[in-house]
Amino acid sequence: MSWKDEVDQIAERRRLAVLQGGEAAIAKHHDKGKLTVRERIDAVLDPDTFDEIGRGAGEAEVDENGNIVEFSPANFVLGFGKIDGRRVVVGGEDFTLKGGSPTEAGLRKSVYAEDLAVKYRLPLVRLHEGAGGSVGKSKHASLPSAVFNAPRFRSVAQAMATAPVASAALGAVAGLPAARLVSSHFSVMSNSTAQIMIAGPAVVERAMGEKLTKDELGGAGVHTKNGTVDNAAADEPEAMEQIRAFLSYLPSNVYELAPVSLCNDPVDRREERLLEIIPKERRRAYNMRRIIKSVMDEGSVFEMGRGYGKSQIMCLARMNGQPVGVWGNDPKVLAGAMTADGANKARRFMELCEVFHLPIICFVDEPGFMIGSQSEREATIRHGANAALTSALLNVPWASVMVRKSFGVAQVAHYGPDAYVLAWPSAETGPLPVEGGVAVAFHREIAAAEDPDAKRQELEEMLAARQSPFPRAEALAVHELIDPRETRPMLARWIDRVQPLLPSLLGPASFAIRP
Amino acid sequence: MAEDIHCETAGTIWKLWVKEGDTVTDGQELFIMEVMKMEVPYEAPCDGVVKRLSIAEGDVVKEDDLAMVIG
Repeated sequence: MSWKDEVDQIAERRRLAVLQGGEAAIAKHHDKGKLTVRERIDAVLDPDTFDEIGRGAGEAEVDENGNIVEFSPANFVLGFGKIDGRRVVVGGEDFTLKGGSPTEAGLRKSVYAEDLAVKYRLPLVRLHEGAGGSVGKSKHASLPSAVFNAPRFRSVAQAMATAPVASAALGAVAGLPAARLVSSHFSVMSNSTAQIMIAGPAVVERAMGEKLTKDELGGAGVHTKNGTVDNAAADEPEAMEQIRAFLSYLPSNVYELAPVSLCNDPVDRREERLLEIIPKERRRAYNMRRIIKSVMDEGSVFEMGRGYGKSQIMCLARMNGQPVGVWGNDPKVLAGAMTADGANKARRFMELCEVFHLPIICFVDEPGFMIGSQSEREATIRHGANAALTSALLNVPWASVMVRKSFGVAQVAHYGPDAYVLAWPSAETGPLPVEGGVAVAFHREIAAAEDPDAKRQELEEMLAARQSPFPRAEALAVHELIDPRETRPMLARWIDRVQPLLPSLLGPASFAIRP
Repeated sequence: MAEDIHCETAGTIWKLWVKEGDTVTDGQELFIMEVMKMEVPYEAPCDGVVKRLSIAEGDVVKEDDLAMVIG
């Protein structure tokens, strides 16, 4: 007697498990331009590296002889794999089975994903398409979870504190999967196929009387602008590429340093166009992204959250191969002023860098907090103070390049403790920009002048000259006043200088990171 | 590959330097918007030709409006 019958059964169950929801369900899924969860996993991982966990999980029906009649696999596929040769945990709902709404075994596997990431200290990649609980078409009612079970989101929080978590929304994502999607360091949604909703259109119409399509309710047009997700991707393959790119800048966990890659871009490269990129006309904006791209290693800039908090630009990039966080103001949007959503975006980005020990490089053109009634209604000062306090408590090495304006309380967020500060000749700094300050401080003088406009302009020009960076350099209020073309060489030397500090930062952050 | 250029914010098209069919180079200034007293220039993201132009000087535009397509 051998165990051949049982072994054959194992093989049969494995064969049935990968059939997912069956040919018809898979064809319907493909017709909507979507990949199945197994195809998604193959797309995000290095070829042939998927090492599945729980292949036999699901519901089996057997006949009186113990032969399998029907097998419905768990509708969450989970396992290990590699991205760029580095180990990860990967998982995602199987929409072809019950629309991704968790089956018992599916739920068990899905919540195990975070446990694995924490236990093995590995990055977690979640590929979401599915809804939360259902009121029930299940064949038999399951026991409710025990009152003493650990909170469902504890492991989700622990995963974020331990290893990079990157998620994609690839179809409709609602309820529990939606909450897990955003409990990530990076999230991306496919423009063509994904929506994210707390509850779908039917529930919303029933409860609220709002009649909306899935895209109107939770498409990329909504969620890339409110910060729910960081990025949109044109389609599923691009979403996978973004996840792979994001992870390339990060260590596998908080106990390791980010991988330094070989850099072919000369560290002493002087970019000529930086000499004239800041217009002399103070009202004229310029392209901050071009500055960032010119200074950082060629082709290394990966922007996150472009549609949200648009006055602040956040990127991952490399300097001489060392991954860093890059933060710049965008003078094209509200003159780069710090808004409530911009401050939230900055706070979250700084925390990401702190948790994974990435040095921060900041290109500063901060005119101050956004003013006006809308800004007050949005509690900008509270969110802005949050960003300023976050910055003040960081431990990662920080370099700031004063590109143009650096004003008010909002500017302090742009300089971490012991920041290495470089200033371009175009730098201006002070309590507030002269345009606003003159109108307040000299209002009587301006009103009394024969030509108030001319008087205002004269005062503005006089005071603008006082905000010049030269006295700051003389007072060692900045480390160096530099030729803008020297920016890359100077920052490359700084990155080299801070290398010995990085290992001492390893380990969990002193705070628990939140999504 | 075509690159769509959208307006980052609401504002007014103050200067428009190109017309449909013009050849442009990476970094070339295409138009300038006036936004809350700031002059905001937009540049070509790549070398190419102005394939489609959706703005004219004086237009009031909204955030995300398509300005032009460079291909």
